[in-house]
This record gives sequence, C-alpha cells and structure tokens, in this order.
Amino acid sequence: MSVETKQARKITVGGRMSNESFLTLFMIGVLVVLFGIACAIVPNFYLPQNMLNLITNNWYIIILGIGVTFLLITGNFDMSVGGVIALTGVLSVYFCQGANVSRNVLANGLGLPYGLALGLALLCAMGIGAINAFFIARLKVPSIIVTLGTMMLARGIAQVITRGAQRNTSLPDVFGVVGNIAIQGTSIKFSVVIMVLLVVAAFIFERMTVPGRRTYLIGANAEAARLSGITVGKHITFLYLTSALLAGITGILLASEFKAGVSSRAMGYEFDALVVALLGGVSIAGGFGSVLGMFVGAVILSVVTTSATGLLLSPDWQFTLKGIVTFIAILAQRFALDRRKG
Amino acid sequence: MNVKGAKEESIQTQLERSRAVRANIKKLYIYFVLALIVIIFSVAKLGQVEMFGRGHFLSPDSIINLLRTAVPILTLSGAFTLLMISGYIDLSVGSAMSLSAVVFALMILNGFPFLPALVITLILGIAMGALNGLLVMKLRITPVIATLVTLSLFKGIALLIVPDGLSAIKGSAEKVMPPWINDYARKNVLLGMPWAFFVALAVIAILVIVQRKTILGKYAAAMGGNRTAAELSGINVVKMGWLLYIIVGFFAVLAGVARASYMSLGDPLSGDGMELDNIIAVLLGGTAFSGGEGSVAKTIIGALIIMCVTTGLMTVIPAYWQTVAKGSVLLFAVVLNHLLIREKVKA
Repeated sequence: MSVETKQARKITVGGRMSNESFLTLFMIGVLVVLFGIACAIVPNFYLPQNMLNLITNNWYIIILGIGVTFLLITGNFDMSVGGVIALTGVLSVYFCQGANVSRNVLANGLGLPYGLALGLALLCAMGIGAINAFFIARLKVPSIIVTLGTMMLARGIAQVITRGAQRNTSLPDVFGVVGNIAIQGTSIKFSVVIMVLLVVAAFIFERMTVPGRRTYLIGANAEAARLSGITVGKHITFLYLTSALLAGITGILLASEFKAGVSSRAMGYEFDALVVALLGGVSIAGGFGSVLGMFVGAVILSVVTTSATGLLLSPDWQFTLKGIVTFIAILAQRFALDRRKG
Repeated sequence: MNVKGAKEESIQTQLERSRAVRANIKKLYIYFVLALIVIIFSVAKLGQVEMFGRGHFLSPDSIINLLRTAVPILTLSGAFTLLMISGYIDLSVGSAMSLSAVVFALMILNGFPFLPALVITLILGIAMGALNGLLVMKLRITPVIATLVTLSLFKGIALLIVPDGLSAIKGSAEKVMPPWINDYARKNVLLGMPWAFFVALAVIAILVIVQRKTILGKYAAAMGGNRTAAELSGINVVKMGWLLYIIVGFFAVLAGVARASYMSLGDPLSGDGMELDNIIAVLLGGTAFSGGEGSVAKTIIGALIIMCVTTGLMTVIPAYWQTVAKGSVLLFAVVLNHLLIREKVKA
C-alpha cells in the first residue's frame, strides 16, 4: 500500500517530464546522432539544401502520418491511406478531364469544373474512410483486416478507372498549379506549406482540444472511456474520416504535381506512414505518442533513406533498411522507457 | 400464468430453433458459396471469351490448371488458419514466400540438386518463423507491427539477392536454369496433377488432424479464446505461439518453392498479396476475427473460392478488375463472418 502511494506520488511530482515528452526528446537525440554520423560519412550531406530536402521531400508521408498517428494512439491501424491516395488522384484527374474530347477512352473524363472535381474526389476519399469507420466502429472488426480490404478496394477502383495504367491527357492547365507552385525565391512547394499548417493544426488538436485528449483516453482504456461518457464509436469514425481526408488531400496534391492520375501511385505509403509513427514513439498498446514525435520520426527515416541513397546503395536497400530501423526503434524506445521506470 | 409460461416456452423453442438453423447455415454455407460460384462460372457463356475458347470452366484442363495455380495458397492457408485461431496474425507470409522462391531458384541455378535445395529453403522458413515468434512472443511487439516489419525485411532481402538490373532469379546466357525445376509443380504425376499438389493435399490432411485431434489444435483455440485463461490453466502460451509461427513460416516456404518451381524463376515480388489471400480464405472459412474458433478444412474451401473467383473473373473481365474483386470479396467475407458469428457473441 505505502509502496503504491509512493510510486503514485513519484509520478505526479511536478516538474517531471511526461513519458511522451521524454520519448520525443530521446528520438530527437537519436536524430541528432544519426544526423552527425550521416554528415561525417555521406558526401555533401551537410549542405543546407540537403537539410531542407530532408523535410520538404517527405511532406506526403508526414501528412499521412498525422492521421495514422492519431488512429494508432487509439489502437487502430489505417492501411488504406496508400490506396486512397491513388483513388483520389485518379478520380480528381478523371473528373477534370474534358468530356468527349478524344477517341482514346483514357483521355475522356467527365469535364467537371476544377473545384467541383476536387470536392467530389475528396468526398470519395472520405467515403473509403466511412467504410473503414463503419466496419471498425460499428461491426467491431479488427482494423487491420478492414483497412487492408479497403486498401484493395480503393486501389482497385483506381485501376479500373485508369484501366490499370494512368490518365494524364486533356487536363485543364489549372490542374497542375497546386502541386507545383513554390514560395517565391525558394524551392519550398505549396504542398510543404500545407504540410506545416496541418502539423501545427494537429499539434493544437492533440494538446489543447477536448477531442484531442479523448483520443488518448480511448487508447489507454476504451472501456473506461466509454463508461466516462465518451462516444468511442463516434470518435473513431471522426479519426478515420480525418485520416482518409488527409490521404485525399495528399492524393490531389501528388496528382497535381505530376499532372497525372496513376493507379500505382503511393504503393507502400501506408507502411511508411506507420513506420514514421512508430519511430516517433507512438505505441499501439496504450494511448501513447504525439504528432511532434511522428514528425521527428519522419525526419529520422528521411535521414536514413537519404544517406542510403547518398552512399549509392541500390534502391532495393530501402525495404531492408526500413525494417531494421523500425525494429531497432521499437526496442530502443522500450528499453529507454523501462530504464526510466526503474 | 400458465399461458404465459407456455408462450415463453414457445419463444424459447423458437429461439433455439433459429439458433440451430443459424448454426447449420454457419456450418454449411461455405460449401454452397463454392458450389454457387462454380455453377455461375460454368453457366456463364465463357466459351465466347477468347481465353476460354479451349473449353468450359469445368473442363478437365481448366480444373487441373486451377488446382495447379492454387497449390501455394492450399499449402499455406491451413497453417495460417491455426495461427489466426490462436489470435495471432502473420502478415509476412507473402514476403517469406518471395524470399524462399528467390533463395530456392538461386540454389537450383547454381547447380544444387532438388532435395538439398528444398531442405535448406525449409530451414530458412523455420528461421523466418522463429524470428516472427521471437518478435511477437518474446519481445511482445504487437503481431501486426512485428510481422509488417519482417514483411519489409524479407522482401528487402529478396530484392537484394536478385542482381541489379534483373527482375528475378532466372536463367541467362551464361547460366541456364535446369529445366527440371518445373518438375515439382508442373510435371504430371497422377490425374494430371504434379507432386506439389499432392504435397499440398498431405499438408492439408495433416493440419486438419492437428487441429481436430491433437493438443496443439486445442491449445491454439484456447489461446485465441482467452489468452489469460489459457496461461492460467497451464498452457505455455509463449512456446505454443512460437511453434505456430514456425509452422506458418515452414509452410510459407513450401508454398514459395511451389511457386518458384511453377514459374521456373525466383521472383522477389511473387508472394505479394499472399497475406491478403490467406486472410480472405480464413475469413470465408468462418474463423473468428479474434481467434478462438475456426476450421482448417473450411479455410481450404475458402481458398478454392478465391481461386475460382480470380480465375473465373480473369476469363470474363479485364485483369485490372482483379483488385476490386478481391477487396470486395474480403469485405463481403467480413460481413458474412460478422453476421454468422454475432450470435455467439450475444449468447
């Protein structure tokens, strides 16, 4: 009894960092060390442009990571984000393409106005999110199974619309603007700005709003959350819709950047999004993790993959590296937390 | 009072009857689904389609072809079912298949005889299963995450083994792939079926017996039903889980060898999507999502359903419909599974 209270007091003593902040700091430390090593052995790694690229080249993974992080905190997976990107990209192109302009089927679309096309594409993305939410929140099916199914569904629809290839002709000029404009005088794209805005918004949501804190409660103990009056199903639904929406935004930006709707776009991004969340210390076990940590995780992954490329390793190394890095990160974080407890 | 009691009783019997009907449906529906699909594809005028000019969906040729291509999933899905019954999951099976296909093809290409190559690849499979077991059971990493990590790892290694500039391990001008690599999965042994098919049948038979008659099957169900209770009643959950992962790794590799032999090359992407096919087969077979109950035999029927649907669809609609079809079948299986299992949860 006395031991318990002592421990309880130990945790509540003011000034002591929360485990989340501790892990984020820990991963920042790892990042700094990795960065130092990379600067030492990879040629030209220290150049400012390269450092900027580390963040700006990964904007899509970070945007996806936001949705995946929140879901992971509640103990749910979203493996459908890659498929949703492909679907939204293809759909936005399909809606924008002029109607009856060519005898080539892939050149003909619906000829909708630009804004309407994007809106509809985003709605379809959220439709996939709604399917996820329905199965997971209502039917209580494990999220991994459902989202793998919707991943195939979304990518499959994209493949049907593009006949397994891509659509890239008879697009209005305005379509390629969003993904390609940059801040004047810099190489920072509009997409990166959106990414930063979304991360800030997610950070505020996580730290300062009631729903944000509820996310953690649900993850820590869904039953307790339900008993204390949180409508868990509604909240999960909201998070899945958000995740799908974020993937949809990413899909439109990518489609605009390449001015094409490619059905094989974003293959494996769901895994990358999961990896950056895990690198950032998100734990599926107990309502644990943060968007800031995910951001740090994304930069770590970026440092590792960029170094691999800089060292002229074959691209085939990427899969192996991601696997090893994630594995080490999970173990290191657990070790760090155990040491801290003891 | 009396009337009320009788009424209650009749409601009771009605309830019981509906429960019995539901249980029967649950027991038998999968055979109907398979029969229905076969009938649909047989009745549909596939003869008009170019690819099926050779004959009917039920012609011996097409049945033999279907079963030969189904060998990998038939070999693997039984073990996968056992693992899912115990409440765990292995998403790395596809990558394990790819890696074993690559390793096997590489050894054959470099002059290994069939049996040593097979044995070494199977040992690799045991090692891969043991690695999954280590991550999930010993280090207690969530199964989904642990096996996703190994998925990436195995796939990466497979890609690294294949030399730069080649898409797969295959014969070239300098090194010829021995033609007998085909023998295992293509050469007619009996009734037009190759060795690999009979191996798959034997595997299925063994796993059905393991699930129904041995202690491993009972333990798997106990673990999936309630892990804590299983632990408290003296089952060594860690050891059992580890064993199940090793079994899955072993059969994933056997499936990979069959695939490599069938295609006579080691493709590092050949196993992609295998985990999904297996999940679909297991869910169609009525295994509960969270484990605790299920049947190896029904999973095999589920696997045949997938093969019929994919092969059948390939003959009527373009290949790019394949993914949508599979995704829909998966979600359909989830709904079906939910409807049939709901009863048990309520009771």
